[in-house]
Amino acid sequence: MAMTKSQRRRITSGVRYVVLSVWGLMAFFPIYWIISTSFKLDTQWFAWPPYYFPSPPTLANYMNVWFGAEEYAQTQYAISSQKPLISLYNSTVIAVTSTFLSVLFGSMIAYGVSRYRILSEARMFQLLMLRMIPPIVIVAPLSLYYTAIGLIDTRFGLILVYFLTTLPYAVWMTKSFIDEVPLEVEQAAEILGASRWRTVFEIVLPLIRSGLVATFLFILILTWSEYLLALIITKTQVTTLPIELSKYQGSTEGRVYGRQAALAVGITVPLMIVGLIIRKHLARGFSFGMVRR
Amino acid sequence: MTVAALSAAEAPLQASPRAVSRRRAVRRFKLSLLAPLIALFAFVLMPVLLLQLYFSVHQWTVYLGSWWDADYIGLDLFKEVLTDPRFGWAVLRSLAFATGSTVGCFVFGFLLAYLMHKPFRGQAIYYIIFILPMLTVPVVVAYTAEMMLYQSGPLNDVITRLSGIEFKPSWLSDPHLALMTVSLLEIWNWTPFSFIIMLAGLTAIPKEPIEAAEILGASKWRIFWEVQVPLLRPVILLALVLRFLEAMAEFPKTWSLFQGGPGSATETLPVYIFMTTWQYFEISKGAAMSYIVMLLMIVIVLFAIRLLRREKRSLDKMYEQTDSPKVEA
Repeated sequence: MAMTKSQRRRITSGVRYVVLSVWGLMAFFPIYWIISTSFKLDTQWFAWPPYYFPSPPTLANYMNVWFGAEEYAQTQYAISSQKPLISLYNSTVIAVTSTFLSVLFGSMIAYGVSRYRILSEARMFQLLMLRMIPPIVIVAPLSLYYTAIGLIDTRFGLILVYFLTTLPYAVWMTKSFIDEVPLEVEQAAEILGASRWRTVFEIVLPLIRSGLVATFLFILILTWSEYLLALIITKTQVTTLPIELSKYQGSTEGRVYGRQAALAVGITVPLMIVGLIIRKHLARGFSFGMVRR
Repeated sequence: MTVAALSAAEAPLQASPRAVSRRRAVRRFKLSLLAPLIALFAFVLMPVLLLQLYFSVHQWTVYLGSWWDADYIGLDLFKEVLTDPRFGWAVLRSLAFATGSTVGCFVFGFLLAYLMHKPFRGQAIYYIIFILPMLTVPVVVAYTAEMMLYQSGPLNDVITRLSGIEFKPSWLSDPHLALMTVSLLEIWNWTPFSFIIMLAGLTAIPKEPIEAAEILGASKWRIFWEVQVPLLRPVILLALVLRFLEAMAEFPKTWSLFQGGPGSATETLPVYIFMTTWQYFEISKGAAMSYIVMLLMIVIVLFAIRLLRREKRSLDKMYEQTDSPKVEA
């Protein structure tokens, strides 16, 4: 069976669209499901056959979960506290602060490595261990140590460990940007008599501004969604959003899917927005700057 | 050439006072760049590691009062852990989970990246949809799975409707399926990771060898296996190694969805350590277990790092080669 080249090309292209669309549906269906569940009335959360569209859509879940609005709540499932808003505040403060520290100090280390070799290549790879060894192996002593020094259940305690565990990403990712800055610029600054610190803060870092923003947002994704360390270190005072979500699990009778979904959407949507903003840099981030585009 | 090397070259042999002070300043500068890292190691990581060592050779649980009075018991706990069949199973489960999900992520990710590496209409939309699962908080993935995977839930319903056959596996309560369920979730969650890395690799490899092979009349199949795959080796290894290590540490989904159950079907290493420490409160046994897992992971990671170092070098070389013509253009 002889096929002309254009026929073959059309078939290949058709197959491609089919495969990609099937995967696209599989990737998107769970996301659609949680969004649609968040707009469903309680009778539709667990119905058989399942409701594929919320009819009629309701905002009750959002009102109840995020604002504790009693009048919107079906009494049975009312969880009327404003805890998620407090967790939202905690999550924001913790994620933003730790990410900022990580990028600030990470980029300084990266600069030192790139220009002064303050860490050898072997040391740089050893730094990756901070990320590659599963955090579960240190959480028990960490929790006891934090209890002893009074950092348990504090925002600062969590900020500190996030700073530590995201530092390898920050160093490696910003280094991949700094390596792309031509050396001549700094030599010119040196000749003109700029101090070393000024060279870093007023010349090199501004030059990789967009890279720093990408690194910041990338690490924000990691700190925003972190679960295990937050579960161990925050007991009652400073729960973050992922922990708040898991509390909705056991705290009430039966299944409160709609409420959970409303909370889950609120946690995930900011992350998706951030992720889509830096979609071109995700490969660089996740590969510690080793893969670039 | 670094700035430092340049400055050193300038310095005359019989160090003038100026050169000495300059060298000192450079050293001070380097140290202050490193200071935060040193501080973190000294005040967070070191105490934690020392405490862990302490607990793994002293018998202590939360009921025993002050931990500094705990009895020294040497390596007994290590012996206990190593002869504990549950621990052995947890190791096997973790390895199976990590291997299975890594391979799954890689196969799908590579397939999608291959289909997408040349421009076509709608590419940007597909790209956005494909990376969304990666941008879902892991805990949210777990609860979404719970909402979708119960026996009469939407997933089984959709498959039944589409195929016309009664499809009713109990994803969440069948002990034979549970680990598979988590693996599939991991694959759903992280295929985008392999996808973006492979896509970045496919668009970065040099075009000339592929074009040359096409002109010589090689089939797509041969070009793929004999030209593209060898060129992609560093990226492939990177995608596999990093994903495997992350999968070894997977905790949020496994824990939120199953808490180790049904039975002990999803008791992976992180879950078992967590249960030992926070449900049975056997802090010391947990510490000993952590120590063993840490050593195991250090061995794996050192191997991974050796691999990555080699592959990074060939990656850097590749970027240099493909980048330089662009600069000239």
